[in-house]
Amino acid sequence: MAVTAEDGTPSAKGRSNLMRSPQFSSFVILVILLAVFAIADSNFLSPLNISNMMAFLPELGIIALGMTLLLTAGEFDLSVGAVFGLAPVVVMLLVQNAGVDIGVALLAGLLLCIAIGAINGAIVTKIGISSFLVTLSMLLIVRGAALYITQGFPLKSWDQPGFFVTLLAGSFNIGAFRLYTSLWWFIGLSLLAVYVLRYAKLGNWISAIGSNRNAAVARGVPADAVKIWLFILTSVLAGLAGMISAFRISAASPVAGTGYELEVIAMVVVGGTALTGGRGTILGTIVGALMLRAIRNGIVLVGVPGLAYNIFVGVIILAMLILHALLQKNAARG
Amino acid sequence: MLKFGLKLAAAATVLAGVAFGSAAQATDGQKTFYLLSHGGPSDAFWIDWNAGATKACDQLKVTCKISFSGGDMAAQKEAFNSALAAKPDGIATTSAQPGLWTEEVKAAKAAGIPIVFFNTDDPATGRQAYVGADLKEAGAIWAKYLVDHKMVKQGDKVFLPVEVPGASYQQLETEGIAGVFDPLGIKYDVVDCGTDPAGIIAKMTDYMVANHPPAIIALGDSVAASVKRVFDGAGIAAGKVPVVGWGNSKETAEAVKDGFVNAAAWQYPSAQGFMPVALLDLAASGEPIGYDIHTFGLYDSSSVEPILKLYEKK
Repeated sequence: MAVTAEDGTPSAKGRSNLMRSPQFSSFVILVILLAVFAIADSNFLSPLNISNMMAFLPELGIIALGMTLLLTAGEFDLSVGAVFGLAPVVVMLLVQNAGVDIGVALLAGLLLCIAIGAINGAIVTKIGISSFLVTLSMLLIVRGAALYITQGFPLKSWDQPGFFVTLLAGSFNIGAFRLYTSLWWFIGLSLLAVYVLRYAKLGNWISAIGSNRNAAVARGVPADAVKIWLFILTSVLAGLAGMISAFRISAASPVAGTGYELEVIAMVVVGGTALTGGRGTILGTIVGALMLRAIRNGIVLVGVPGLAYNIFVGVIILAMLILHALLQKNAARG
Repeated sequence: MLKFGLKLAAAATVLAGVAFGSAAQATDGQKTFYLLSHGGPSDAFWIDWNAGATKACDQLKVTCKISFSGGDMAAQKEAFNSALAAKPDGIATTSAQPGLWTEEVKAAKAAGIPIVFFNTDDPATGRQAYVGADLKEAGAIWAKYLVDHKMVKQGDKVFLPVEVPGASYQQLETEGIAGVFDPLGIKYDVVDCGTDPAGIIAKMTDYMVANHPPAIIALGDSVAASVKRVFDGAGIAAGKVPVVGWGNSKETAEAVKDGFVNAAAWQYPSAQGFMPVALLDLAASGEPIGYDIHTFGLYDSSSVEPILKLYEKK
């Protein structure tokens, strides 16, 4: 029996299902938030401010896509921030110290991410240790490795004009907006993730595993293999995001990505994906990513005291989660 | 399976013990110093500091145990107390929080262990020597630079980005700035930018777009090193907004040369790493040490070349 991975699929129940979906309530909250910030400060919707938000957003968003699929399957990965930092550092060390071609170095970096994801997945599925503990340990190992191999030195990133800089960190203008190619990466990967979660058999498997692993296995779903591949995917996306970021800011720092794991999980959960697994929404994650980026940007614009940012971010996120939960309860009753 | 696993773990433990034991034996006979920093090992300043300290340890043929607590004072206190328990020949530490080391310095002096502070000071503890800048004076110098060059006026609100708000360096620098700005009615805004490079750039850019501050005093090296990229992101031309602050990184030195930063402070990080080891070596050899070594200088576009050359050598 197929399990629908995402709520809100337009059908005969159409509008009613859409309004009951977690991503709809997240979207409503996002619109309210944007309106509040826009009213509070006219700069909020200025091309410059939107361009700045869009510079950083795709990097976190790309990681959040992988985390959404993994959370839907009932696991999470706390090492994504560390992988974000390690991958570009390894790439640049290979280029600068070993004279490796940049394309080959990028590939090597991605292979490293695959290895990290595979190790996470294998330990979680085959040995049965919780993903929280495994990936927390991996976070420490990967972060420590990044610091050790660089001796703490941030490295100058690849900035030779050419194919790879354009591919990963190129910028372009649409009217007064200055955008980066990372936005295309985010859009493209989002479309792919939507297809996987909503239309592909894999999406059904992912949700089934997250809902009830034993029942899914009884139905012939290869739960362990799916989870391992999801851990690999999450690591690869984190590494890719790290490389994009490093190319964009021209620096590969061993401490890049610090704290990103919690930021990304917040984006995914605020967007409507269940922390306990079984229900995931890519659209919700996109909304969640926009929401968190808008909150962080908006509180600066409205003049929140410089040392109180985190208070306001935390309060707004909590308020959103409560509102989200109440709207969901209301929608379920109605 | 379990028995095999236990045998494997036992073998690994024995091997590790032999390996560490051999390493310890190799440095037997050398003086041992503990160097404790509150900083993060990837901060531009602490990288150079580490290089200076390591060079001193090699040149003076002493064993140095260096640790970074990344802003975690509790962790640094634990490291200090572990150092005391190891009865080394000397301890050098930062003092990122006033009063943090009062009891520890007493205990070290009672045990005959020389104590040198570096980078951040707390003379009230009774430490024997200090190597570093006077951070309050640094803040005052930056503020005076902006005032003397008529870059700020009464009513202005100056942007003070910092990686770790509440840390001693931010407090002391801000005190120095307040001493100059408060009587003149110039306001300032200390802003938490964190330590993640992309996050620092995003936060600072957002602030610049939102507030159009008349000037910036970068209270830390990581925020100072991001100024050029922030200006690019916010569409601000070099020199349009005056910037002063720390300059212990290649990025900031380049930003000074390119006109994005007006004047930057050089703390001679490598010397700040070298000199505490030298002082401890003297003290451990019975020589009295009771003097401070100040490492601070302001450079601008006319004096940045020697610093850039230094970075090019690395």
